[in-house]
Amino acid sequence: MTTFIGEAAAEVVGRSHEIGAAAPPPPRSRRSRRWRYALTVLAFLLPSAVPLVLFVLGPMIAAAWISLTEWNLLAPAKWVGLDNYLELLTDPETGDVFLHTVYYIVGYLPLVYVGGLAIALALNTALRGRTLLRGVYFLPVVTSWIVVALVWRWLLNPSNGVVNTVLGFFGVEGPGWWSDPAWAMPSIILASAWKDLGFVMVILLAGLQAIDPELVDAARVDGAGWWRRLFSITLPLLSPATFFVVVISLINGFQVFDQVYAMTGGGPGGATQVVVQQIYDLTFRYGKAGEASALSWLLFMVILAVTVVQIRGQRKWVNYG
Amino acid sequence: MRTTALGIVGLAATAAIALSGCSAGGDQESGPVTITYTNFISNDGNEENLQAIVDAFEVENPDITVEVTTLPYADYGTALQTDLAAGTVSDVFDIEYANYAQYQANGVLAELPVENPGAYRQSLLEAYQTDGTQYALPSSFSAVVLYYNADLFDAAGLDYPSSDWTWADEQAAAEALTDEAAGVWGDHQPVSFYEFYKVLAQNGGEFLDESGTKVGFNSPEGIEAAEWLVGKSGTVMPTIEQGQGTPDFDTNLFTDGKLAMMHTGIWVFGAVADVPFGWDIAVEPGNTEQASAVFSNAVGVSSGSEHPEAAATFAEFLTSSDVMVQTRLDSGWELPPISDEAALATYLEKDAPANRQAVFDSLDGIALPPVVAEGQQEMQDIMTEELVEAQSGRKSVADALAAAEERINAAIGG
Amino acid sequence: MSVAAATPTAAGRTPAARAVLARKILLHVVIVLGALVMFFPFYWTLVTSLSPGSGLSSTPELVPAEPGLDAYFQLFQQVPFARAVGNSLLLAVITTLVQLFTSATAAYAFSRLPFRGRTVVFGVYLATMMIPLQVLVVPLFAELRAFGLVNTYLGALLPTFAAAFGIFLLRQAMNQVPVELDEAAALDGAGHFRIFWTVILPNIRPALATLAVFAFMGSWNSFLWPLVVLRSPELQTLPVALAGLQGQYTTQWDIVMAGSVISILPMLAIYLFAQKYVIQGVANAGLK
Repeated sequence: MTTFIGEAAAEVVGRSHEIGAAAPPPPRSRRSRRWRYALTVLAFLLPSAVPLVLFVLGPMIAAAWISLTEWNLLAPAKWVGLDNYLELLTDPETGDVFLHTVYYIVGYLPLVYVGGLAIALALNTALRGRTLLRGVYFLPVVTSWIVVALVWRWLLNPSNGVVNTVLGFFGVEGPGWWSDPAWAMPSIILASAWKDLGFVMVILLAGLQAIDPELVDAARVDGAGWWRRLFSITLPLLSPATFFVVVISLINGFQVFDQVYAMTGGGPGGATQVVVQQIYDLTFRYGKAGEASALSWLLFMVILAVTVVQIRGQRKWVNYG
Repeated sequence: MRTTALGIVGLAATAAIALSGCSAGGDQESGPVTITYTNFISNDGNEENLQAIVDAFEVENPDITVEVTTLPYADYGTALQTDLAAGTVSDVFDIEYANYAQYQANGVLAELPVENPGAYRQSLLEAYQTDGTQYALPSSFSAVVLYYNADLFDAAGLDYPSSDWTWADEQAAAEALTDEAAGVWGDHQPVSFYEFYKVLAQNGGEFLDESGTKVGFNSPEGIEAAEWLVGKSGTVMPTIEQGQGTPDFDTNLFTDGKLAMMHTGIWVFGAVADVPFGWDIAVEPGNTEQASAVFSNAVGVSSGSEHPEAAATFAEFLTSSDVMVQTRLDSGWELPPISDEAALATYLEKDAPANRQAVFDSLDGIALPPVVAEGQQEMQDIMTEELVEAQSGRKSVADALAAAEERINAAIGG
Repeated sequence: MSVAAATPTAAGRTPAARAVLARKILLHVVIVLGALVMFFPFYWTLVTSLSPGSGLSSTPELVPAEPGLDAYFQLFQQVPFARAVGNSLLLAVITTLVQLFTSATAAYAFSRLPFRGRTVVFGVYLATMMIPLQVLVVPLFAELRAFGLVNTYLGALLPTFAAAFGIFLLRQAMNQVPVELDEAAALDGAGHFRIFWTVILPNIRPALATLAVFAFMGSWNSFLWPLVVLRSPELQTLPVALAGLQGQYTTQWDIVMAGSVISILPMLAIYLFAQKYVIQGVANAGLK
């Protein structure tokens, strides 16, 4: 795993940025140089490393230990070794919650990226009132899920919601949305993509503005059409930001919780039960903290694998201008 | 030099001995004591009411200071369990009846000495006893009753619901009063675990069998009860697709004058108070028996508390003092769990609904929620899930109950 | 839009130019319509908050029937809401400033300071994002209790001081700053700290502004951790206070909505304020 990451990440890291190692220094100086360099690295890393180790890695290790026990939070924990993992891996419900989560991601990611990209492109031009518009598109991002869930449940109300009414105008009978197990996850996907559009827009806007307009102009002068410019110039140059959006969205997508909790609570009939909703239920509702921790470590391994694959695949499409 | 040093040491030693004398022994009842109380009962508008009760307690017990922490109801369990896991739980804390058995079985509740047990309503007091020992004290109770729109009944020339109604009477009235074309519905009853164990009791069924580790509702009585519950959807009550089950759906429908009867709690009195039509309440009709759902909250003292006596004193004050009774009645903050009917008289004299006596009549036949030591929440979730499957037509009632039986037995069997 | 630039006639626009204009107008219309869809939930929240005593009707109203500010007054009377807003502000500002610092320093190391095992360390940093908070809450709470920091601002803040999200974001941005700039500064005798401060940071201003917005937002909307670690009414944060407005049986929705409106406004202000820096940053970028 280490060399695997190492190989891939060597591409990621890119050029060597070692500064100040020009002329060969005299022997004693070299050692002290190395010490100074090591101290510099430490100085830059410690501010983040200390909190992360203390407050994330530490609890992660504790959670790993808890995953080897049976614990209802009220009475002392009981050691059960790998039982929790075995139980989870043989329980079809585990596969279900992972499937639901993947379903969510597959629907959500393309929607939110394309939507966010479209808005970012549009609001990157000299459009009148674009500052205000950018603010409005960002509003859903800062609105709490309590409100967003209420609004979307109303919008997608099967009998008199706006969406089904509009579909009715076109002679299409709208589905049961959040009341129908087949349509509940699409409802959550729609609401989530809508809410996070602004987030993607902000990241991509920052990326777009780092693109040298002269490059785009040169292409236009050469006669390249809008689509051509988008795919040959803009998107490649935007790839670092895109990479960021994809990696973060995947990591967050696998851990989706707030919207499921607010919109369907995992229902109907468990159709939208995702991994973290299951972890939450197991810990705080069903008194199975050990199983919850084991499940979260299974999730961790899945996310890690997916992220590593992406980092590896990066060299194929990400250009660090 | 030496004498000053000796003097200082001597002073310090004296001080240390004096102070240690103060803290000798486990309980510091002789000096001022601060206890902590974590609650959820004051959410949504009753924060000042709780403070009034706490202030009165501190006046009566000048040696005890109470630090109150209020947590949101929906997430209370999360915070409380985190506290219990880490050992930071308050001296006194709220619990719901549904969690009592689990907390007691895991030893987190201290035994409570009750000075005046007669002040409490017996049935409520006993609900929080295990093997004759009191582990928590009821702090309030609420009941579910049948609300009805008197004007709609008048217009159709029907008799109002009365305390000798049965399901058949309710069904007949509901059908007569439903007019889908006009958007008027006859009867609303939520489809959930909370309703099911109650209608099961109303039909003479049992949710759990004698051992308490297996379900007993997959019986003819159970199926009949489930069908009573589920059958309303689409006939006399809107379907889920039409909005049933969303927050405040039934209250809104009722206040709009579009619902003839609804089963909901007495906490809705305030929301319905100003409607432009006549309305009242009645005891929920049963089938073979009368059984009403009574919900109660309670307070417990932590078994790890350093001030168990002060905590117990506060717990008893919070749940049976006159100040508490007055505050609750004046503000309509649920009902005090006391046995003195005379003290509750003011409740009966308030404005609409006229038939407030029905609330107390409901207490004649109570359906207590089934409670298990392990898997309580899972049991509730599974039951509601399966019933909703039946309500949506995805499963037959018989299949839903069978599936619920299998899944719940696995969860609570241990 | 690829249109051959024809010479405009004296009379007015060419057909081609008119097509461009039409497309621009269409774009504008679509964007504005989209903005209305985005704005609607906020508008509905606002309307409900201005309709005293209202429950949640099945169809939101477009205009409040009897507008009034009662919900807002009640909001501040019922719970110490002003205090909660203050707490959230304090925590969010501190979190944002600290995260900017810890993220920028770590990102610099990952972008400009090669060392053996750097990629593994970066992988470990990323890994800290891959475990949900729901499962870390109990051990983290126990740990802070051991430090004696339960029910303190510091206890609420410490776990937020470093976040892999920000480090990742800034590292991507720094990787796009050309090494030539570093080398030019090095030739002038600058060491890493100087380069960090005078070369790298000014050139990633859009990313810094973006991170500031998200760090603020993360802290402002954070619920689970403040719920568990901050208990006294004087210390509780906004989302927890808002949740307390929903009772065991009933909820006063107009007050909840008023609280939601108030919680959205500072976030929006921060975002609009930060936007200026995003644009400014680009102007000064000098990425040629």
